[in-house]
Amino acid sequence: MPGRYAAFTFVDRITSFEPGIAARGSFHIPSDVGHFPASLLAEATGQLAAWSAMAKQDFRVRPVAGVAHETVYLGVPRPGDLLETEIRIDSCDDEVVSYQGIARIGGTTVLELHDVVGPMLPAGDFDDPEAMRGFLDVLLGGGATADRFRGVPVLPLAPIDRETGRCARARLDVPAAAPFFADHFPRRPVLPGTLLMDCLTRLAAGVVAEARPGGTAFVRRVSDVKLRAFTEPGATLELRATLESTENDTMIATLEARAEGQRRPVGGAHATFEVAR
Amino acid sequence: MAAEITKTDVDAIYGTVAKTIADALGCELDEVKRDASLIDDLGAESIDFLDLVFRLERAFKVKIPRGKIVEDARGDLPEAEFEQKGVVTEAGIARLRTFLAEVPADRIAAPLKTADIPRLFTAETFAKLVIRAQREQGAA
Repeated sequence: MPGRYAAFTFVDRITSFEPGIAARGSFHIPSDVGHFPASLLAEATGQLAAWSAMAKQDFRVRPVAGVAHETVYLGVPRPGDLLETEIRIDSCDDEVVSYQGIARIGGTTVLELHDVVGPMLPAGDFDDPEAMRGFLDVLLGGGATADRFRGVPVLPLAPIDRETGRCARARLDVPAAAPFFADHFPRRPVLPGTLLMDCLTRLAAGVVAEARPGGTAFVRRVSDVKLRAFTEPGATLELRATLESTENDTMIATLEARAEGQRRPVGGAHATFEVAR
Repeated sequence: MAAEITKTDVDAIYGTVAKTIADALGCELDEVKRDASLIDDLGAESIDFLDLVFRLERAFKVKIPRGKIVEDARGDLPEAEFEQKGVVTEAGIARLRTFLAEVPADRIAAPLKTADIPRLFTAETFAKLVIRAQREQGAA
């Protein structure tokens, strides 16, 4: 399948591996990709944890995005960077995995992932377990061919309404087809939670920029990420970002994504922004 | 036979449990009533239970195995006597009424699907879960 283990795979090589305990891996961001959102640092770290968890559970189940209690962004990934990821699994069984993770670039920590809790679902519903087992062998051996990743599209947000410097709503029309669906996942394509979080933080960054004109807003911390439902290709979501508190140049926004007809949000989080002058 | 969990035991930790539930569900603390069903009254979903159990483990420094409430409720009753074809038996319902004494008895009524047992869980159910985990950990 075109794009398989390339379009949305952020582990090229696994250099240290204890199933269900710990792992280290790496991913080279191709020099020619234009857009590599910071949320993909969390994706890369989470994917390494997923390999460790799936191997421990013999590929019966796989983790999907659930809860990430705290994600701290300490640096910005750039095309050409070599990303080194490291995870430690706290617990793992057929129902749930919890783990911590770190991503580094050039030896400097660029991401800390604290207390991630992912539900484990039947692996065969999402992918071919044997094919996954085979690709893990590749990662553990010489590694996959470098620079397979061709980038992800910037998903456009259609403004609905806003209160300047206070909140904004926008519509996200999830594409019916996109290369990343080939990897996420072959048997059940769904919008990656990390791309949804990128859309939400982009929306919030716009509100922060209005509240602090002249500064550059960047997300420092995302807390209490919770993804409750899968979002299918072609779905429409309403995104909302509301500034809750502002203290000097640190601002906290509540992020929420809703699908029509669903009682609870599809996903939500709190994001802390810092504004550089 | 495990020592009974008294109201005093529950009261001692209830405040922290209720706050943890409010944090996990993203609701106000005063919405968390002792006998409110977390699913039916507070809109909790399965991901919220995973989150909640994780937060309780952190808050109380205990380990809570998944599925622990139903497992403990069943106790020594063989699974085939507790449920048949996904429906809780009369004996199972009697067990649940004793074990989940904090849940108003009229909510535990036949026919009850095993998949619907979590709908019964209240804030106090989780307080008792923590107390049992603390006791098991203390006894280990």
